[in-house]
Amino acid sequence: MNLAHLHLLLNHVPTVGLGVGFGLFVASLVVRSEDLRRGSFVVVFVIALAAIPAYLTGNAAQFAVQDRFELSEELVAAHQDAAMLALIPMELAGLVAWTALWRFRRWHLAALLLLLVVALGLMARAATIGGEIRHPEIVAEGAAASAPAWPRAAAFGAALVIDHPWVWPICEILHFVGLCLLFGVVLLVNLRTLGVVGNVPATHVNRLLPWAMGGFGVNLVTGMLFFLASPDQYTQNPAFFWKIGLVLVGGVTLLYPTLVAEDGDGQPDARASIVARLAAVGSIAVWTGVIFLGRFLPYLGAE
Amino acid sequence: MGPVLAQLEQSGLATWVRESGVLYGYPLILFLHTLGLSTLVGLNTAIDLRLLGVGAGIPLASLERTFRLMWAGLALNAATGGLLFIADATRHASNPAFYVKLACVALAVVTLTRIWSRVFHGPDRGRRLAAASLACWGVALGAGRLMAYVSEFIQ
Repeated sequence: MNLAHLHLLLNHVPTVGLGVGFGLFVASLVVRSEDLRRGSFVVVFVIALAAIPAYLTGNAAQFAVQDRFELSEELVAAHQDAAMLALIPMELAGLVAWTALWRFRRWHLAALLLLLVVALGLMARAATIGGEIRHPEIVAEGAAASAPAWPRAAAFGAALVIDHPWVWPICEILHFVGLCLLFGVVLLVNLRTLGVVGNVPATHVNRLLPWAMGGFGVNLVTGMLFFLASPDQYTQNPAFFWKIGLVLVGGVTLLYPTLVAEDGDGQPDARASIVARLAAVGSIAVWTGVIFLGRFLPYLGAE
Repeated sequence: MGPVLAQLEQSGLATWVRESGVLYGYPLILFLHTLGLSTLVGLNTAIDLRLLGVGAGIPLASLERTFRLMWAGLALNAATGGLLFIADATRHASNPAFYVKLACVALAVVTLTRIWSRVFHGPDRGRRLAAASLACWGVALGAGRLMAYVSEFIQ
């Protein structure tokens, strides 16, 4: 299996998975089930995470395939721009879903509905153009392959970094700020579970969690800008995909405190269960691993 | 100062850090420096947020034990920072961003000791100290990241 194969596996997740998440969400509104609604939030958040490697492996697939097959560069670029455009509402939907799990407000429903509809439409568009790259048979006879030239989201992001030499260093600083926010709050939340930070209910410490999610968001945006500006530097480095894998596991661990906060962990003196303790140690280990791989990227990948 | 720095840079340890090329050399030191920084600055940021009113229900006493971890992070970074410094002593010593970073780290650490004495063990609510702490760490991070660019610009 190579990364092109991985892209083929992953690229169905944001479309099919998003459809499932959207269906669950709408169903929860119709039958007014809170459990179903929370379930759909979890699905949307996980799909938003999975959409990240779906995008990243696309560049790797292009690199792997371009020497073996005749590819329309125009179509590939259009697919990439469409995918980037679709990723934006997708990630925002993931953020709203997580926030709604953390502390539900009614406006979350309207925001999520809107973002999911937009994301579904844009994902379908990206998928269609992507399919035409290697499957010309899906284009109606006599019609031209669809290669919309606008808006060029991926090209715009790359140009932003490449044309302005100050953008990369600024993004590096922000990437560290985001890292500190994420790691600091995650550490505190998990130290509470482990009893190092004692005598405080989980609900109080969990108030800080949106700052961790904010750090995650800052690092997603800045990390994406690095990737857009210099994709081959990352797609040709196995350590990068291990890092992204750990980021996704770490992202899922951010769900944990929103799901189990009421599970007896709410009491200041409650002894956390073994499972909760393992999750806490695991979460710290995963984020430490992310920092490790991020730091070792230039040394591990470059032979 | 110059000859001392050059001597430091020529020492066996500094040469090993700079030139050994092994993963447990320079890359590991760099990773540990980042881990120490994310522990110290990360936890300090969380405490600053608490002092500024986020998660106001968290009793300060419950956070006291995080100070040990933060001091451990500081110790780790003093050690790893020292190694990274001697590996390129003359270059870092001529880099203004390096001095900005050191000054801000020093100010941030002093601020943290004041948060301990005046807020955790005193009557101060600590909003100003928290704001000062965030500002110092922010500039320290920025200057630290920019060191490579500034040094390239100078040369």
